[in-house]
Amino acid sequence: MEKSSKSALVIGGGIAGIQAALDLADMGIHVDMVEKKPSIGGRMAQLDKTFPTNDCSICILAPKLSECYRHPNITLHAYSEVQKVEGTAGNFTVEILKRARYVKESECINCGLCAEKCPMRVEDEFDRELRKRRAIYMYYLQGVPAIMTIDKEKCLWFTKNACRICEKACEKEAIDFDQQDQTITLNNVGSIVVATGYNLIEDFEKEALNIYGYGKFRNVVTALEFERMECASGPQGGHIKRFSDGVTPKKIAFLQCIGSRSDRYKKYCSSICCMYTTKEAMIAYEHDNSLESYVFYIDMRAGGKGFQSFLRRGASDYNIDYIKSKIAQIDIDKDENPIIVYEDYDDGKIKQLKVDLVVLATCIIPPEGIEDMAKLLGIELNDYNFIKTTPFIPVETSKNGIFTCGCVHEPMDIPRSVTEASGAAARAAEVIRGG
Amino acid sequence: MSVVNYEFRNEVLKHNASLSYCYQCSTCSGGCPVALLTEGKYNPRKIIEEAILGLRDKLVESQDPNPWLCSTCQKCVELCPQKVELTEIFTLIKNLCFEEQKFPEAFYAQGKAVYDSGVAIPYSNSIVARRKKLGLPEIKTASVEEINILMGETNFKKNILRGNK
Amino acid sequence: MTYDLFLGCVIPARLPYLEVSSRKVFEKLGIELKDVDGFSCCPDPTGIELIDHDTWLALGARNLSLCNNNGGVISFCSGCVETLKGVNYFINRDTDVKQKVNNYLKKIGKTYEGKTEVKHFAQVLYENLEKVKENVEKPLEGFKVAIHYGCHYLRPSEFIKWDDPFEPVTLDEIVKTLEAESVGYELKMECCGNPLDKSDKEISLQMIDNKLKAIHESGANCVVVVCPACYQQFEFNQRELNKRNNSEYNMPIFYLSELIALSFGFKPEELGFNFHRVKPTELFESIGFDV
Repeated sequence: MEKSSKSALVIGGGIAGIQAALDLADMGIHVDMVEKKPSIGGRMAQLDKTFPTNDCSICILAPKLSECYRHPNITLHAYSEVQKVEGTAGNFTVEILKRARYVKESECINCGLCAEKCPMRVEDEFDRELRKRRAIYMYYLQGVPAIMTIDKEKCLWFTKNACRICEKACEKEAIDFDQQDQTITLNNVGSIVVATGYNLIEDFEKEALNIYGYGKFRNVVTALEFERMECASGPQGGHIKRFSDGVTPKKIAFLQCIGSRSDRYKKYCSSICCMYTTKEAMIAYEHDNSLESYVFYIDMRAGGKGFQSFLRRGASDYNIDYIKSKIAQIDIDKDENPIIVYEDYDDGKIKQLKVDLVVLATCIIPPEGIEDMAKLLGIELNDYNFIKTTPFIPVETSKNGIFTCGCVHEPMDIPRSVTEASGAAARAAEVIRGG
Repeated sequence: MSVVNYEFRNEVLKHNASLSYCYQCSTCSGGCPVALLTEGKYNPRKIIEEAILGLRDKLVESQDPNPWLCSTCQKCVELCPQKVELTEIFTLIKNLCFEEQKFPEAFYAQGKAVYDSGVAIPYSNSIVARRKKLGLPEIKTASVEEINILMGETNFKKNILRGNK
Repeated sequence: MTYDLFLGCVIPARLPYLEVSSRKVFEKLGIELKDVDGFSCCPDPTGIELIDHDTWLALGARNLSLCNNNGGVISFCSGCVETLKGVNYFINRDTDVKQKVNNYLKKIGKTYEGKTEVKHFAQVLYENLEKVKENVEKPLEGFKVAIHYGCHYLRPSEFIKWDDPFEPVTLDEIVKTLEAESVGYELKMECCGNPLDKSDKEISLQMIDNKLKAIHESGANCVVVVCPACYQQFEFNQRELNKRNNSEYNMPIFYLSELIALSFGFKPEELGFNFHRVKPTELFESIGFDV
């Protein structure tokens, strides 16, 4: 295939960005992929399973991560950020800040000896702060590129001028405390795909979770935390235990629409929660067949192919009780068991249900720093601060030559993110090929 | 059989448009302390549902659920994800019940006291004496005439005097 | 600072001893309260408003029109504060409502523009917390206080605009300033049930019974309130509940101003504690509080 002189830039290394990059690269277009985190993979890497097939998330993601890393047409800039974009469609100039890892990428073999010796315990962001990592760390076990990174904010050498134990531990002499941040300039960038994903409402508006006692009651967790609790490589090694007493929950309540569809917080539907909640309840049931799950919802929004039968299967085969009722508040008893008060629509009675664990289906929100990024790229945001697109061309931003896919422009599931990614890649290729 | 009364429904909507935001999620009923104690016999969601449907006969005539069981704690108003102003809507419904003379006796007693004296609790001789003993100042309350003029301008006078049961 | 004082009905005409402690506290803090002639019932947001909203607006606006706008108007009663703040809110929210209310007021030669600032007395105390602290002569050690915020002190937050509607802190802070302990209890944020006294005595009693039970279980040795309706509900129903249910409630109920006055060194007899149905004498003795 003819190789193009112009390249494409993909911002964001989650499943959407990865798919867009792979499609473009397979068309013979050179792609520079920029990912803020130390490794690509994004949210999908944090998930235990994916609906509606309940496949192991990392198992279907990992081959794509490696492909991205090895593809001759893809240059991966992980732990990097776009800091300047100039020019117009067909000819952008992009400046990337490549942050120093203080580890030589060419030397590190991800053996982990350094992290074993590092004395600093730091909240693990990837595991939603449910466990600690070290100040020198792999972002996650299967992360790509598989290179260690020193957390400058927490490292004793950088904060107190002491330690350097990792340096001694490393047999490859890969630690380099003198490494500097680098600025990389990309010329001749024909088009840009923005796929920077999402955050969750608890990340920036924790007060939306206050009435459910999140942060106050140990047995109230968010859905992404629960995802990590279910995951075999997660903080509990795949054995779901509640945080108050380490006991495996036998009764779990899943509360829908936390922060979403609300005039107080986010007015839009978070769109994926009905499905992922059912998935999480199914997986928890597979861990323990005596589990009872209760899903409290406003109305079930499962509009994808095979989605309704997925819910029906949840009810018939996985002991999930779907109850139409939005929960007002949560209290706990003396043993920290959450107590849920709800109206039963069938008889109009107000009932109480004591459970072992509550899982909050929190709302997708635009990713951190989206305003700055929009300004940098010169693209518009919509009323909810997602990237503005139009219904008939969902992958085009307000600026020529800049495309988008995935949750950065509205909440969506993985299949749709991937579909959009291919769409965005096709449109981005048109600009480069002069289609 | 309940009768849908569009006029009534529009009257409520005109009074408070937030009624139309309700998506019947039951946050209000699940958070209501009286609903809990009455096992759902009192149910704020149902009142809103009946208002949306325009079921005036249910709300005002048969009072099912009984709007007078609202404790005005305002929890539902704070919790409602759609910011429906429930207690304002309940107030309108209770005002209509007052016009129809379907309200608890105690409200008559209080209303009549304010009509007759300007205050809910008139100052008895013994309380005046006690205040003096406690070193508290004498209270000069409102001119009853002024209060009666205002109550004559609204429907209060008409309805409270009619309610002399 | 000078405020107009709106007394309302319940405190001056039924519980004047609560007025005594409140006036004493403000005097001691050097915050002047000015009595205003000619106030009517606020009117009751759990009574008159429910039977005739327009009358509630008209009488409320009339009361507010009498204020001289010093530092605004304050009340010792959460119900009065709710009404006065509410009337301001409705008048300022909708020009038609303002017009309608002023048409009523015109008949008695008055007008009201919706500008009088309204504050709860506890709000003013909180805003003067440093001064309160300076005046504490007898720290309330041993007082394990169950704080009852009450609904109308906080909600609807849309126009009360003071403290968090579900996780408030102001009264806790004041109580801690007196060096008393604020004891958490289940149902802390629930309604006392007083407004239902008019429509369903049974539910009303059940609500206060549940609260007292939770307070009893929490290990608190007294309750503090900031609203005369809540005060009556807590204070007047204990005997009735004991008779009905063989319970043994004997929980002293303090008005916030009474607790503060005690810590300022005022004597129980100056504060009219003899009028309380549950006398706090036993509590003072059991914790060795030297009055």
